[in-house]
Amino acid sequence: MTDNQLNEVVRLPLSMLAHGRSGDKGDSVNIGLIAHETDWLPVLESVITPEWLANLFGEEVKGDIEVYSVPGVGAVNCVLNGALQGGGTVSLRKDAQGKLFGQVILQAEVDLPIQQAIRLGLIQP
Amino acid sequence: MKQKLALGVETSESQVEKALDSLRVWAMTMTRIGGGAGFWGDRVFAPLELLSTSKLDYLILDYLAEVTMSILAKQKMRDPKKGWATDLVDWLEAGGVELLHDSGAKLVTNAGGANPADCAKMVLELACEVGWTDCRIALITGDDVVQLIDDALDGGSLVENIETGQKLSELEDGVVTANAYLGAGPIGRALESGADIVITGRVADASLIVGCMLHSCGWAAESISQGHAITTPIHRWATSEVESPLDVLASWSIAGHLIECGAQVCGGNSTDWKLIDNLAEVGYPISEIEEGGSCIITKPEGTGGAVNRRTVAEQLLYEIGDPAAYITPDVVVDLRHTTLTETGENRVRVEGTRGLPPTDHFKVSATHLDGWFACSDLVVCGPDAVERSKACDDVMRARLSDLTRLEINSEFFGAGASLPPGLAHLKVEPSEVLIRWGARSGNRADIIEFGRSVAPLILTGPAGVAGYSARPKPREQLRYFPFLIPRDLVEPQIQIVLMNTLRLRVSDRSPRLGSVFDRLESIANGTPEDQWRRKFARRVLVRLQRPTMRE
Repeated sequence: MTDNQLNEVVRLPLSMLAHGRSGDKGDSVNIGLIAHETDWLPVLESVITPEWLANLFGEEVKGDIEVYSVPGVGAVNCVLNGALQGGGTVSLRKDAQGKLFGQVILQAEVDLPIQQAIRLGLIQP
Repeated sequence: MKQKLALGVETSESQVEKALDSLRVWAMTMTRIGGGAGFWGDRVFAPLELLSTSKLDYLILDYLAEVTMSILAKQKMRDPKKGWATDLVDWLEAGGVELLHDSGAKLVTNAGGANPADCAKMVLELACEVGWTDCRIALITGDDVVQLIDDALDGGSLVENIETGQKLSELEDGVVTANAYLGAGPIGRALESGADIVITGRVADASLIVGCMLHSCGWAAESISQGHAITTPIHRWATSEVESPLDVLASWSIAGHLIECGAQVCGGNSTDWKLIDNLAEVGYPISEIEEGGSCIITKPEGTGGAVNRRTVAEQLLYEIGDPAAYITPDVVVDLRHTTLTETGENRVRVEGTRGLPPTDHFKVSATHLDGWFACSDLVVCGPDAVERSKACDDVMRARLSDLTRLEINSEFFGAGASLPPGLAHLKVEPSEVLIRWGARSGNRADIIEFGRSVAPLILTGPAGVAGYSARPKPREQLRYFPFLIPRDLVEPQIQIVLMNTLRLRVSDRSPRLGSVFDRLESIANGTPEDQWRRKFARRVLVRLQRPTMRE
């Protein structure tokens, strides 16, 4: 592998890094993303940022986005405020309670440095 | 050599004995709580499965989501006897009352919803029906704070929506429901006063479990002997040997949080769905909780699903905000360092949760009327299905364009409706699309017009459109309005009412009771029923027929 390749990134679906579930509270949705290995948390933290989420959800999320770390189980908790068109009781969405977000997001792709992806066993050297 | 061997055997025997002893002690101090419902609409007979397959100390049933309270409120508006979760009665009637009586487990549920009194009355009738005459039902009220808004909160001018900042007094239509999330204290005290069944209105989900633990671990008894009012923060109820009551309360809350959504912790709704065995017979969860707070999450043997680190972790974070401050009425939970360890097949140990003192406020979930809504859908097939479905949607919108207050949300399922903008590149050209419309308006007539505009699209829009169903009826929309209220305003209202079959007055009897008496007589007089049922049936008949015995 050349030096050039070592600095490159590889694009992988988030499902290779984590599993998750989402739910609602009022007009906000939370997505718990749990790294497949507890010690992968720093990697998860480096890719799941409020900016990354804002980019992904665009205008669907009207309010602030927060990302919290949960080290005990190697997870991040993403809170998307104003994501349900007013909340479960009035949302005109079929998924009024944001149950789908947690599985939809696993299809998103994240960029990892190739070296890191190899170290985690996500790709072959 | 011989001696050594003998010593060796002795040591291992005593080790086994020691291990068995500690297991016995653990089993004695451990409280087993089953979670038999995740919401109103969950599998109705799950509580029967839990009761018949496992030895439980308590069975908790959480029937209330945010959405549920507003549905129940609507039902109560139409019929003042309704407004509670009727699923409770469905399984109790199907042999559940007998199972509950025989098992000795206490039932704690928020099935009361917007009308706990009528719910409790119905359950009492069912107990009476099977001859459980000394059944004691505790009814917990005080969560309904609608009256307080006018009296103490200046008509809502002192109240702000915690999400939007809007003042309650600025609403066009008044408040329909306002229910404070009560804590575990009243549940613990109700159980301490001998209740077999506790029925509440809006109580924080995890508090259902914490209430059981207050009873099981002697905190409720301690609070009475110390003379604590029911409104004292419950970490002050701890028995003297408890070192850090807040940590214990936080851990109990997590033990509860993990099972209050039913099978969601046992492999239901799991990312690993492909690996989960036998979801058709998925087990409902049991928390084996220690006095110190650590717990083991498990499920009845032989049931489907799975309990492992991954299924428990997903539920741990479910509907959580800041993990350092998950606020409940009982305690502020810090679950950042909560750990999960697999200790056996379908057994996960949960520990390391920390607690901070509770806040000075209760959260109130209020709802107010906000116009009308309806939903509908049609399926679109054929070449260029996406283009067709959009054309179909355009036709409908053009026909309704004069209705300026009408808001329509169109979703094209199959064509990537669930994908956020950042995943638009994953959209593919499907062979069919399901158009799903949600419409709302402050004007009821607009929604009637919307309902009328769906079916005609089949004959008057593009070809390949189908799926006619009845015109959707306008439904009242109740908007959620969460706010905070000082505890000392709510607490004086909290009441525990103990009811038992002897308190059933003639005037309180519903028409149902006629058939109840017939049933009781048939149990008392004949067919080989369980002995206790016959005995109690006779007792209840004697008592109910003698007016002097009634209160």
